[in-house]
Order: sequence, then structure tokens, then C-alpha cells
Amino acid sequence: MSNVYIDQFPAEAKVIRAAFYSSFLALALGGVFGIIQTLHRTDFLRFMDSVDYYTVLTAHGVFLVISFTIFFLVGIFTWAVTTSLDRGLEDIRFTWGWYSLMAIGITMTGVAILAGFTDAIDMSASVLFTFYAPLQAHPLFYLGLVLFVVGTWVAGVDWFRSWWAWKAENPDERIPLPTFMVLTTMLMWYIATLGVAAAILLFLLPWSLGLIETVNPLLTRTLFWFFGHPVVYFWLMPAYMMWYVMLPKFSGGKLFSDPLARVVFVLFLILSVPTGIHHQYLDPGIAEGFKFIAMTNTMFLLLPSLLTAFTVVASMEHGARQRGGEGYFGWLKALPWRDPVFTGMALAGLMFAAAGFSGMINAGMNINYLVHNTFWVVGHFHLTVGTAVALTFMAVTYWFLPQVTGKALWSRSVALGQVVVWFVGMTFMSNAMHRAGLLGVPRRTAEPQYEGFEFQAAVGSIGELDAQIALGGVLLTISLGMFFANVVGTALNGRSDDLPANEYAGALSGPDDAPLVLDNLKLWTAIAVVLVIFAYTFPLLSIIDRGGLFGPEVIPFPLTVESATTLGFALETAASTSFESAGEIATSALTAVMR
Amino acid sequence: MSQATEESASEPSAETIREIGHDEYDPVGTFALIGLYFLILVFLWFFMYFVEFLGNDPTVVSGTAVVVALV
Ligand code: HEM
Ligand SMILES: [Cu+2]
Repeated sequence: MSNVYIDQFPAEAKVIRAAFYSSFLALALGGVFGIIQTLHRTDFLRFMDSVDYYTVLTAHGVFLVISFTIFFLVGIFTWAVTTSLDRGLEDIRFTWGWYSLMAIGITMTGVAILAGFTDAIDMSASVLFTFYAPLQAHPLFYLGLVLFVVGTWVAGVDWFRSWWAWKAENPDERIPLPTFMVLTTMLMWYIATLGVAAAILLFLLPWSLGLIETVNPLLTRTLFWFFGHPVVYFWLMPAYMMWYVMLPKFSGGKLFSDPLARVVFVLFLILSVPTGIHHQYLDPGIAEGFKFIAMTNTMFLLLPSLLTAFTVVASMEHGARQRGGEGYFGWLKALPWRDPVFTGMALAGLMFAAAGFSGMINAGMNINYLVHNTFWVVGHFHLTVGTAVALTFMAVTYWFLPQVTGKALWSRSVALGQVVVWFVGMTFMSNAMHRAGLLGVPRRTAEPQYEGFEFQAAVGSIGELDAQIALGGVLLTISLGMFFANVVGTALNGRSDDLPANEYAGALSGPDDAPLVLDNLKLWTAIAVVLVIFAYTFPLLSIIDRGGLFGPEVIPFPLTVESATTLGFALETAASTSFESAGEIATSALTAVMR
Repeated sequence: MSQATEESASEPSAETIREIGHDEYDPVGTFALIGLYFLILVFLWFFMYFVEFLGNDPTVVSGTAVVVALV
């Protein structure tokens, strides 16, 4: 029997395949919308009404950052748990259950969005992927999102079940690194999604159904960003996992340090959530002190990212030196640049380093004011989720697809070309987006061309920037075409019995060097929860205190007038009093500390 | 069924021309690269000052709230 994943775990391979194909479908749709909006904005090709631009943009955002990324990561998480524990999932029907929940949910959401293109159906959800109130979507949109997220929760339970069963049989062993990464990521995700679940279930869905008449937009926004920042780590941590457990292998070496990798994931679990307010530096109604706290937490988050940079580069260097590389920089030449899996991941990492700079600009409270809601931000996240994550996922597909289909990759050279074209295209598009943002060009705008007003460029011109953005967009679209050619070509291939074995990188410094406390998931979860309570209680209470739980006035409800208003009023009073007293305590504590 | 992958993964691949263990490995190249990255970051920070602040009025976070919180 071979050592290919599909032979080791045939049933699981099938689920992973389904997740991958769902992910790729979303990527294809998202890509089509991406090029449409690029050409529309830059005024190279406008074949639709500018009103529809926002439907296109919603579809682009939701399909790419919700369905593409998350379907892909549940696939590799399933691979990671089964491979590293060396056991199948406990009950494959349960696994298909969560996959189906996710698939049904995202289909509902997708239908609600796409229905916005036609007047034949009275349905739309052009609310962009942040669905800020007062933009309102059809209830199907929110319901679908709920089902999708619940699906991911159940998926997490599936992986925890595997781990519990394994632990019962291996009581004295360390959690294998890939499983450790999956579990910490899921714990972070459980905490993070509480925010969006509250926003949707308590406010937006009832509001969209007509059960309540108003919501407090600042409250739902804040709950969104409670989830909206950590969701970026939900995309990134699987990419990091690939950099830690796969990239060293493809470089020809070993992971530099298993303990350091664990520390990084623990830090992400702890620090991801209490930072969301850094997306709201410009929101009126949140005190600057709270924003300052969010900024401080954000700066701490740089630590695990820098640790990652060090560990990952050191692992690559180890590979290069084993392959004969020499010198301070000469070793770079000894890396396997002809391997699309390696090159894709390395280029993705390089782009992420560039994104590190624009991210530091975004994170600074006062500098943020200069770039907030400009095209700069779009440039930034096409480097992070749009490349560090997306390109890593596409690159590892070239290794995973053969593993879960048992078929050889259709073309390695097309694959290599694909990752390079993506890198070049994104360099053009993202760099020009950053520069346009500095000139004040807004994001989320169908026609950022204004009569009687010119953006002042010190270097270059708007026309030049638009041309670079459009060129970059076209290259990215070509790259996607090459990617799908490979996916389809591989699917049409026959079974191969000449595939590499299913294995991940070993570590130079293994788990035995890691302090035991790192594996104490309960402890880290508890700390994470406490930090979230610290960071969010006061801001949330003060938002409710000022704007009301359901909006500025106390609104009478059609059905449950008595109960709901009483509850709302009680909550409000409780909130304001506790906020006041808590505020006093905080002030006195602060003054005490500062002295 | 393949064994715990850790072991098989540590086998040298075809292109490996030498084994480097934990103690012999000194990641100087990594320090060089990361050092270079830091230099670029520092340069960009200075550059940011010229791009943003000299051309515009300064953006000020109304100092009091932050300062009070710190004092
Ligand atoms: C063919 C490749 C792509 C092209 C041409 C493209 C182009 C664009 C453009 C021009 C915008 C800005 C529209 C505006 O603000 O008015 C945008 C927004 C966005 N893109 Fe992409 N993109 C591509 C790939 C991706 C990928 C791979 C991801 C993530 C995995 C992504 C995620 C997003 C998100 C989240 C937004 C913001 C949506 C919003 O503001 O609501 N894009 N894209
Ligand atoms: Cu964020």
C-alpha cells in the first residue's frame, strides 16, 4: 500500500476533495467579479450600471474571504489532524454533516447576493462583506452566514473529538504540532465568532425579518469587528501552518523550532480578538482611550508575526544549507526555485513582509487617519489575504491535489508560471493601490473620478496608477486561469502510482524541548477570554449606554412590546450604572498604577 | 499505513548533500535577511514622514484623552 493520503484515509480524502472544489468554485467566481470591478473602477471597461458595482463588490468580498479561504482551510485542517494523529476521523457521517451545513449556508448567502443582479426576484444583499447597518440584506444572506459559521464550529468539534480519542490512547505524548495548530486556531475562532453570531442573531437577522425596527449601527459594527479582526488570523494561521510544517520540507530541511511554533500559535489565540477596535479608529462614539488600548494590543500582535518570519526563514535556510548553500545571501540560490509549491509559498511570504509595513501604518492610530477607507487599505489586504494566504493556498494545492485525488499534477511548469504571474500581477496592482490611497482615492467606489477635482500626485498620475491597477488585475486573472487549468487537468488525469508520500517536515528542535505548559489549551483559552473581557466590556457598555441596545430611541416592538422594552430598558440601566462604577474603578486603578 | 510522519520526513531527500543537525546549524543568513528587512522598515518609516506629514497638515489625535489616560 502506498503512502499517499488517499490510500491512507480514503473517506477523509473525499471530504477534503469536496471542500477544495467548493473553495475553488468560490475562487473562480470571486476572480471574475474581481476583474469586472477593477476594469469598471479604473474606467477601462464599463458594461454595467454603477449601481450594480456594489453587488459585484459584495460577491467578490464574500466569495473570496469567506468561502474560498474557509473551505480550503477546513480541508487542510482535516488533513493535518488525520495525518499528524495518524488516525481517521471518528465518524465520517458527522464530517459530511458539517461540510453540508457549510455548503448549504454559503449557497443561501450566495443566492441572496447574486439575486441582487436581477429585478425579477425581490431579493438583494449588496451590503459588502462587512454588512454594516443601516445597509440591510435579505434574511437569507444572514441565515446562510449563520449556517456556514455553525458548520465550522461543528468541524472544530470533529477535530477535537479526534484529539480526545487519540489522547486517551496516548496519554503521555505531546500534541503533534499540526494538530496543536488546528486546535489553537479553532479555539480562537470560537471566541471570535461569538461577536458576529451576536450581531446577526440578536440584531441584524431580526431586523431584516422585520421583528425589530432599528438597530444600533455602532453596536453591530463593533460586534462585526470583534470578529472581523480575528477572522484575518483564521485565514492566516492555516497559511502559517503551511509555512511551518510544509515549507521546510520543500526547502529540503527541517522546521527550526517546534516550541517556537507553539508559542506563536498560543500568542495568536490570546491576542487576536482584543484588537478589533483598530478597524474603528475613525468611528465616532468610541472613546479614544479604548482605541488606544486596541492599538497597544495590535502592536503586541507584531511579535508572533516577527517570530514567524524568523522561524520560517531559518527553516528555509536550513534546507538551503543542506542542499549545499553558502554565504550570507548566497544560500538563497540553493533553494528549489523550480518547484511551484516552494516558490509560491516563498513569494507569498515575501509579499507578507511587504504587507507588514503597510499594516504598521494602518495600525498606528494617527497615521491610520491618513489612509482610512482609501485604496491603500485595499492594497494592503490584497497582500495579506489576497496573496500571503491565497497564493500559499494555491501553491500547496499543487501538492495536496495529487494527495487527495491520487492523480499526478497536470503541469508543473504551468504551476510555476502561475505563482510567478500572480506575484508580478499583485506587485503592480497592490503597489498602485497603496499609492492611490496616499493621494486620497477612496475604496468601495464605482466611479472615483470627479468633475472639477483632480487628485494631486507628486509622482506619476491617476491615469498611470489606474493603468497599473488594471494591468495587475489582468495578470491576476490570467494567473487564475492557469490555476484552474491545472486543477481541471489534474482531475482529468488517471490514477498515478508514482506520487510522493504524505508527510510533513520534522523539526530540528522537537516538541520535547517545549515547556509542557504550552499544551495547556484550557489555560490559554482562559487568558484569551479574560483579555477579551478587558478589551471589550467597557467599549460595548458605553456604546449601548449612548446609543441604546436597539438604536438611539427606545422603540416599541410590534409583538412583544412589554417584554422587549422592559428588557431593553433594564439592560440599558444596568449597563449605564455598571459602566459608571466600572469607569470609576478603572480610573482609580489607573492613577494608582501610574503613581 | 505510513508511520508517524515525523520519522520518514527526516530522511534526507535526493538533493541533500549534507546533514546539518541542531547544534551545527547557525542561521546567519536568516539574521542577515531579517536585518535587511528591518533596515528597509526603518527607511520606510522615515520616508512615510516626508510623504505624509510634510505635504499635509498634521493629523492629531486630540491629545488630552490619551495623555490623561497615561498620567
Ligand atoms: C483576480 C484577482 C483580484 C482582483 C483583480 C481584485 C480586485 C479588487 C479590487 C479592484 C477591489 C477594490 C474595489 C473597491 O474598493 O472599489 C477589491 C476588493 C476586495 N478584494 Fe480583491 N481582487 C482580486 C483577488 C482577491 C483575492 C484573492 C482576495 C482574497 C482572498 C480578495 C479580497 C478582496 C476583498 C475582501 C475586497 C474588499 C471588498 C469590500 O470592500 O467590501 N481579492 N478587489
Ligand atoms: Cu485587524
